[in-house]
Amino acid sequence: MNIFYKASAFIKKDFLIQISYKTSFILDWLHTFVTIVTFYFISKLMGTAVTPYLIGYSTEYFPFVMVGLIFSGYLNTALQKFAINIRHEQLMGTLEAMLVSPTKMSLIIVGISLWDLIFTSITTVIVLLFGSLTLNVDLSHINFFPSFLILAMTIISFSSIGIISAAFVIVLKKGNPINWLIYTFTCFLGGVFFPVEMLPWGLRTISYFIPATYSLRGLRHAILQGYNFKMLFPDIAALFLFCLLLFPISIWVFIKSVNQAKIRGSLAHY
Amino acid sequence: MHQAVEVSGLSKEFILTKNFNLFSRSSRKSILAIDNVFLEAKPGEVLSLIGPNGSGKTTLIKILACLIWPTRGVVRVMGYDALKNENRIKALIGLACSDERSFYWRLTLRENLYFFGALFNLSLSRIKKSIDELGAFLDLDESLDKRFQECSSGIKQRLVIARSLINDPKLIFMDEPFKNLDPLNAKKIMGYIKTKLVNEQGKTVLFITHNLKEAEEFSDRIAVMQQGKILKTGTLKELSAGADSCACSLENIYEKLLKPLNNC
Repeated sequence: MNIFYKASAFIKKDFLIQISYKTSFILDWLHTFVTIVTFYFISKLMGTAVTPYLIGYSTEYFPFVMVGLIFSGYLNTALQKFAINIRHEQLMGTLEAMLVSPTKMSLIIVGISLWDLIFTSITTVIVLLFGSLTLNVDLSHINFFPSFLILAMTIISFSSIGIISAAFVIVLKKGNPINWLIYTFTCFLGGVFFPVEMLPWGLRTISYFIPATYSLRGLRHAILQGYNFKMLFPDIAALFLFCLLLFPISIWVFIKSVNQAKIRGSLAHY
Repeated sequence: MHQAVEVSGLSKEFILTKNFNLFSRSSRKSILAIDNVFLEAKPGEVLSLIGPNGSGKTTLIKILACLIWPTRGVVRVMGYDALKNENRIKALIGLACSDERSFYWRLTLRENLYFFGALFNLSLSRIKKSIDELGAFLDLDESLDKRFQECSSGIKQRLVIARSLINDPKLIFMDEPFKNLDPLNAKKIMGYIKTKLVNEQGKTVLFITHNLKEAEEFSDRIAVMQQGKILKTGTLKELSAGADSCACSLENIYEKLLKPLNNC
């Protein structure tokens, strides 16, 4: 009960702050839609030329890349926002104010990014509706339960990396290059813009060690082709293993970094 | 019955590492910010910590508020060990710092207080009640629905005090809480804290100030700190015991206590 109450306080606070920046709020939405429409026209340009590469997804390029773009939104939020937000709270002096309250550090780190994850989810739903209603994306096969499950595990696995990055910020006071590298290589090797099957053998092998490969393949099959839980089991199992490994590590690393900052007396430093 | 604060043999050493240099071995320096401190604060008293800049007052309060871990010694707050019962302690304390910027500038004062109140697990109705009461005593009523960024430094400073009291804490840490307040308002607020919160409700206040008159007027006991050590603790009478007849004001006592160390 306490956790949900406090989590809702974080969400409300960040929602109020976001809507207080009205222009930025509108521009964020606009950026998303312009990106989607840009890829729509790129896919028109390509026509059926890329269809042989998408045979496993039985779809055209635009629905394929739209799921990739939705995913990259989550990827960006989960990887970047934890570190950005913790840095922001440090600079504002509000991190120390939060730490004076009886709130667990793990809840604070998750709490400060909850609204960003919700905002990304709202954007996702609107983009899917927009794609379906105006850009002829066929969502009639969508299988909701596995889609949500894969999405949840995607958020957990990438948030874990984001939390580790926030731990760097707590200790080093500046962001680290790991996030940028992971984001870039995930987009490149994970199959955001093209199927990993197109990659040469060596790179394709690397892609199997990236959770995004399983997330994207699973999401596309569940959203565009309506695969059921049984058919998606290999991807779900792989993602589950990533979550099982990464999440406890991330919380452990984060708690260690806070403890280190308490020893150094540098929690409020920036 | 336990004391509000019990500190024994407390030391805090900060390790300062120099910037990494490829051509020389990075050297480690350390600063002893708190040096073997023994201190007690009784329930229902105002204990002032005075001392020159860098004497370790803020570090001491941050250790008591579980924001910094001690290097050595035992720290008990409201009967709980500061290293083992952090969240229990945090539920019972309030911290008002001199830094008044630690709020969300785009939110109103009320929205800020609702957020920080929720972090203390207070129900919405209890937060509302606290805001009404604190708004009245801190003269914040008319500013509560203004955005934080639109308020004057004095209002912001009062919000710091309001936040430190929102959970009705049993122990209040105040680190120069009146820095941006005019003397009349500072006196009024401190008077309220002393009569209502300390004398009537039995709360304990640990009060850091550089204003010796303020300390003299409101404190039950005073601890004088320098270079991480507590030089002397006691009532004004106890502090002046053994001093010259002229050393009857805190200012004289303070000067006298600090002089020998300054001369070293």
